[in-house]
Amino acid sequence: MTSENPRYGMVVDVNRCVGCQTCTISCKHANDTAPDIQWRSVLDVEQGEFPDVSRFFLVVGCQHCAEPPCVPVCPTGATFQRDDGLVVMDYDTCIGCGYCAVACPYQARTIAHEAEFYYGRPTVQETHAAHPERIGVAQKCTFCIDRIDEAKDRGLTPGVDSEVTPACAASCIAQAITFGDFNDSDSRVSQLAKGHTFQINDFLKTDPQIKYLYDVPGSIEGLPDTDAHADDIAPGSDPLAGGVQTFWDMRAAMNFILGGMGSGFLLIASAAILSGLATPPAGKALLFAGATLIALGLFFVFLKIGRKGRFLNAIRRPQTSWMTREIYVVAVMFPLIGLALPTDASLSLAALIGIAAAAFLYCQARILHAAKGIPVWRASPVPLLLVATGLAEGAGLYLFASVLVPGAASATWIIVAGVAAGMVTLGTWLWLVRGAKTFRIPPKARQSLALATRVYVPAMIAAAALMAVWPPLGGLLVAVSGAAIKAWLITRAAHQQGFVLPAMPRRGSGRRASPSRLNGIQRDKAMSAVGVDPLETV
Amino acid sequence: MSASGRGYKPQNQRIKKPVYCYQCVAGPDLLRVEEEDGIATRVESNYTLEGKHPADGRVCVKAYGLIQKTYNPNRVQQPMKRTNPNKGREHDPGWQAISWDEALDIVAGKLREVREKGLRDEAGYPRVAASFGGGGTPTQYMGTFPAFLSAWGAVDLGFGAGQGVKCYHSEHLYGELWHRAFIVSPDVPRCKFVINCGSNVEASGGVVGVWREADARAHGLRRVQVEPHLSVTGALAGEWVPIRPKTDAAFLFALIHHILIERDPEQVCDVAYLREMTNSPYLVGPNGFFLRDTASHEPLVWDAKTGKAVAYNTGRAQPALTGAGKVSGVEKGPDGQDWVHTDIPGVTAFEKLIEHVREYSPDWAAEKTGITAETIRRIADEYLAHASIGETIEIGGQTFPYRPVAVMLGKGVNNGWGGYQTTWARTVLAVLVGALEVPGGVLGTNVKLVRPAHYRADSVRHGEDGFMHFPFNETSRNGWQPKPKIRNAYNTLVPLAADSPWSPALGPAHLPWLFQKEQPENWPTATKPDIWFCYRTNPSISSWNAPEVSERIAEFPFTVAFAYTQDETNYMADILLPEATDLESLQLIRVGNTKMMQAFWKKEGWGIRQPVGEKTVDCMDMTEISTQLAKRAGLLKEYVAAINRGSAGIKLKTEDYDFTLPADATPTVEEIWGQVAKAASHEVSDGAEVHDLEWFKSEGYMLREFAETSWFLAQTLREKGLRFELPYQERVYRHGRQLANRLHEAGVNWWENQLEEYEPMPSYISFPDIWIDHIREVGKNPEDFPLWALTARSMQYAWGANVGLPMIREVANNVAGHRGVILNPETAAKSGIAEGDWVLITSPTGVTRGRAVLRNGIRPDTILMIGQFDHWATPVAKDFNLPSLNSLTALSLSLTDSTGSGSDITRVRVERDADQSGKRKKRA
Repeated sequence: MTSENPRYGMVVDVNRCVGCQTCTISCKHANDTAPDIQWRSVLDVEQGEFPDVSRFFLVVGCQHCAEPPCVPVCPTGATFQRDDGLVVMDYDTCIGCGYCAVACPYQARTIAHEAEFYYGRPTVQETHAAHPERIGVAQKCTFCIDRIDEAKDRGLTPGVDSEVTPACAASCIAQAITFGDFNDSDSRVSQLAKGHTFQINDFLKTDPQIKYLYDVPGSIEGLPDTDAHADDIAPGSDPLAGGVQTFWDMRAAMNFILGGMGSGFLLIASAAILSGLATPPAGKALLFAGATLIALGLFFVFLKIGRKGRFLNAIRRPQTSWMTREIYVVAVMFPLIGLALPTDASLSLAALIGIAAAAFLYCQARILHAAKGIPVWRASPVPLLLVATGLAEGAGLYLFASVLVPGAASATWIIVAGVAAGMVTLGTWLWLVRGAKTFRIPPKARQSLALATRVYVPAMIAAAALMAVWPPLGGLLVAVSGAAIKAWLITRAAHQQGFVLPAMPRRGSGRRASPSRLNGIQRDKAMSAVGVDPLETV
Repeated sequence: MSASGRGYKPQNQRIKKPVYCYQCVAGPDLLRVEEEDGIATRVESNYTLEGKHPADGRVCVKAYGLIQKTYNPNRVQQPMKRTNPNKGREHDPGWQAISWDEALDIVAGKLREVREKGLRDEAGYPRVAASFGGGGTPTQYMGTFPAFLSAWGAVDLGFGAGQGVKCYHSEHLYGELWHRAFIVSPDVPRCKFVINCGSNVEASGGVVGVWREADARAHGLRRVQVEPHLSVTGALAGEWVPIRPKTDAAFLFALIHHILIERDPEQVCDVAYLREMTNSPYLVGPNGFFLRDTASHEPLVWDAKTGKAVAYNTGRAQPALTGAGKVSGVEKGPDGQDWVHTDIPGVTAFEKLIEHVREYSPDWAAEKTGITAETIRRIADEYLAHASIGETIEIGGQTFPYRPVAVMLGKGVNNGWGGYQTTWARTVLAVLVGALEVPGGVLGTNVKLVRPAHYRADSVRHGEDGFMHFPFNETSRNGWQPKPKIRNAYNTLVPLAADSPWSPALGPAHLPWLFQKEQPENWPTATKPDIWFCYRTNPSISSWNAPEVSERIAEFPFTVAFAYTQDETNYMADILLPEATDLESLQLIRVGNTKMMQAFWKKEGWGIRQPVGEKTVDCMDMTEISTQLAKRAGLLKEYVAAINRGSAGIKLKTEDYDFTLPADATPTVEEIWGQVAKAASHEVSDGAEVHDLEWFKSEGYMLREFAETSWFLAQTLREKGLRFELPYQERVYRHGRQLANRLHEAGVNWWENQLEEYEPMPSYISFPDIWIDHIREVGKNPEDFPLWALTARSMQYAWGANVGLPMIREVANNVAGHRGVILNPETAAKSGIAEGDWVLITSPTGVTRGRAVLRNGIRPDTILMIGQFDHWATPVAKDFNLPSLNSLTALSLSLTDSTGSGSDITRVRVERDADQSGKRKKRA
């Protein structure tokens, strides 16, 4: 029986799992997933160096977190959490922006932009089991939601009755995956969870509803995951380490580049208009240019989303999604600019435009920061870094534009603002790079940041210095540096979280082996004959 | 609102057809396949078997490949005829599509032609040969083809496809001799401690193996895994001990040494078991044969009660393990040679054992194995500590001894040179603590050589000297068969191979290939078969030295391949017959009882495989193919008679029932299996229920109880007054001496090394040196090949004939090693190899290429290639670009042991390929 308010989840026994991939493939069958899309899979993990090595298998997939970071970021509401804890998808609402995918610290989501088939052309079975509704939208494990919902009608219990249990758990040939209701204290998952369990990436406080049992009976305790934050990058591939995300590519980066630049520019231009540095025609040109940059950035995002016809769905989640909020800001800012352009008098709207631009810039900073699945992005310095970069770029661009746009004058305060913002950018960057370990940024991403630092820091110092000396060129270089570092952040230093495990089963070779067991012997005389000291008893 | 479940019918409204999966030797497992609109859509476990099947009706990853297997667009779409008379990898077969009628007529015509010439050729070998894939699994899919073969008469089933090198060869032969254990398994549910030398049970043990082992781990089973690389199974062991390849016998001998020499056997061994259940107390004469009573010729023991030697089966004697006084008796040597002794010092087999292992100390073994002496001693003590000598356990109302310890051996350890040593040592370790064939200990799963085969316990029959009967191939002057029945000569060269239907596969199955190339002296000419059938097998990929075997196959005059897709073997065929695959054909098979690898059921009965969905290619059920071939070859009567006799798995007529097929009519597939269904249900229910085919199609299976107590044979032996033939191997020794005499008389001098292996207790020889010496034999320098190359089972692929299924590949790639060759990072660094680099792996006789996969779970002196690949014709697989050990190993007499098997191992060097492109290269 399930409880009145079930909270579904799983317990995975790492000591049982053999990595056979039966769960992986049974999930593919039950859910008709396309080639190379695995809602459930098992990682083959090795740790240590010969002759002190251990190997284990880790069942991964959507963790149906109690605090799912994918849900609040979704701009459409397509991803939501049910009362029974299931984090689910409405494919008909999703626009395929990929935000949930970068917000997920468990690499659980995928987006297929085209229908693919195992042999190129679809077989009759693939045609029969095709899911066109999943093309261009985010998809992930549903805990076999249809089975759970069917259970109610049939008076069955998920986790007890195999037909209404998620396919991976029902099919597991090692009984390593157990599904059930954590709110039912008598359920098998509740009972199992009383053992020594861990949650993946627990420090992110997402409270995953897959709990991992790591006890190896006879061994005293699990091994700490000492490798998770080691500096060394293993020469072999490490399935626990996240790779660079591919959901947000240069098109998405262009929104941050052009949007950040454009909003910073609008902010400075508005101030310039209000302080009389720009003549009305120049002011209009500047506002138009800023708006164009932002619009262009948004257009790139439009090109990126999987379901373009549904883009308006992105206005549905203002309560929590910074992406929706960004759209609302645009919805205010662009009409304001539109109103400001016709007459000189309406330029007095510049103050409001400036505020909107600042809000836009802030939204962008928060969008990136809310993507919990990417350690660099979620690091504390990132919002400030993005805001400061936007301001530095805006100032730099203004100084450059002042050469091109007649009537747009430069001013010392703009140079000072630009240089100051550039310095804040640099400081924030160094805070990010130096504190990378404390922000739990994994080694490969740290390496990527270090690599960027070698170019970015001297370039930014040079550009800022040049801005003080020769503002237009220096300004342009500041803008280029800012753009480059954002492109790097979004497409290169964008390693996924990977899997940090607080503990693992104690077994393996050498120092990693579980302790031997020499007692438990039943015959006293044999015991003395063996002549050994009793070690740890099971 | 949520679209996640859109379009899915509720589970209870779906059509789910029960079928079975026997894609590996650990089967069968039973599953259900969903059918929608005439299309097989999804696979799932058969949950109706919860509580009945030992893994609650689960199926493993391979079963989920069956849908894609059915709809693979690369399938052979209809029968094909070769138009290019030239055969070989470089010759396109020029396939021409033909009708079934034409194809069957061509084959039947050839059969009639051959039959007219006689069943055997001038060398005495069958003119028709047939090869099937490993482990007997193909017979679970080939319908009534065995009835066709039976109707035909002499067929050479001995052209191997990797048997010997890919199986537990020594375990099969010695296992059956010693405890009716074609396959050995711990009594996992009750076992507490396992020393596992290279057994990759988590990859090879099937669904039931994985299920039982996982349960046992959760309940505290401790496993020490001794192997050169950290396999999937090693990963799950409490401790991994990275041993030097091919030195396991030294490790195991040292364990015995520690128990017998460094501990007090009286204290730590199960003395009563040794005394009553083994040949330990038998007295051994100075020539190495049992000392026997001069009158009765029964082996003598020293009776501690009366202080004199008496026949082992003397009622109230108390046989002593040690301390015999002066004795008299006769030794019966080879070929009737007798030695009569008077008042010589009595020496027991147990004392011989102690002397035998005296030199094999842990310190000695440490040098051989790379495992410290301290570790060896500790593992031996752990073994003793868990043995629970004196404890009992109640099962099914009976009290049994309880000895929860076992030693397991894997492929490469229990076959080829050293296989006798390791299997003997393992079984001796079991008897030392009384753990052989008792709960918790070491059990056999099934029998294939001795008879009757159905129930292990029934095969426990009285033989010589108080041991179980074993059908050795004769080696006496009068009994030995100088003319091999088939080309692999199992009945002539390997006494232990016996002469059952399985024996051809358990002889030296690679010799036919080797002898095709190099005719041995004083031996019948290695002729080619006039017709070769191959079914669910691809020796061009799966043999040792697969490229060379491929060349031999190309020389065969007429090959009929039951073909799924084009592959490397049927590339050389003359006719391709696309058989209906797993989900397209009909068959009933026996399920339950005890089967390989750990399939210990508490039920037994019958299960069905039936078509799901409509066919999408012009294929034919194997039963129909067999019927048509029999009919067109003029053998219909004999064929139907064979089915009636039981070739389809059960006799259709007994004293209790008669479901025979009419002798003069051509039976349909449904009629044949319909009668089998009735006989099977009659058998399962003792006549209470007789069900037709439709019933089986709907229900899927029919089961009855099978007593768990029959898993343990020690009880049966005890009841029959029999002993395990351990530790002393008098019969093996005698057969070896006699075989040597016979072969020498026949002028055969190329089997000398093998003959030396017949010892009463096997000695350690430096096994690694056999492979080093082989490098010199082929004229190369051992220093150029500094590494060992090994292979390991891929659970996802093994036996599945599923390399053409991209879904299997997708999920298999999640398991390390499926993308290339596994190297230790230290080894890779020395050769400037980085993760993912293309590398060339060169052995003394071959070369293969793949990407480097760096893992720490392997000894730096060893590399590992999982599975067997290197395909060049099979669609999908030919683009894998994976290396294969089979392209590196040599077909060689010097690498063949006395049972006719080899080990999957070779010396190699590894270099970074100058060409780092992914392009496939032609074989050097």
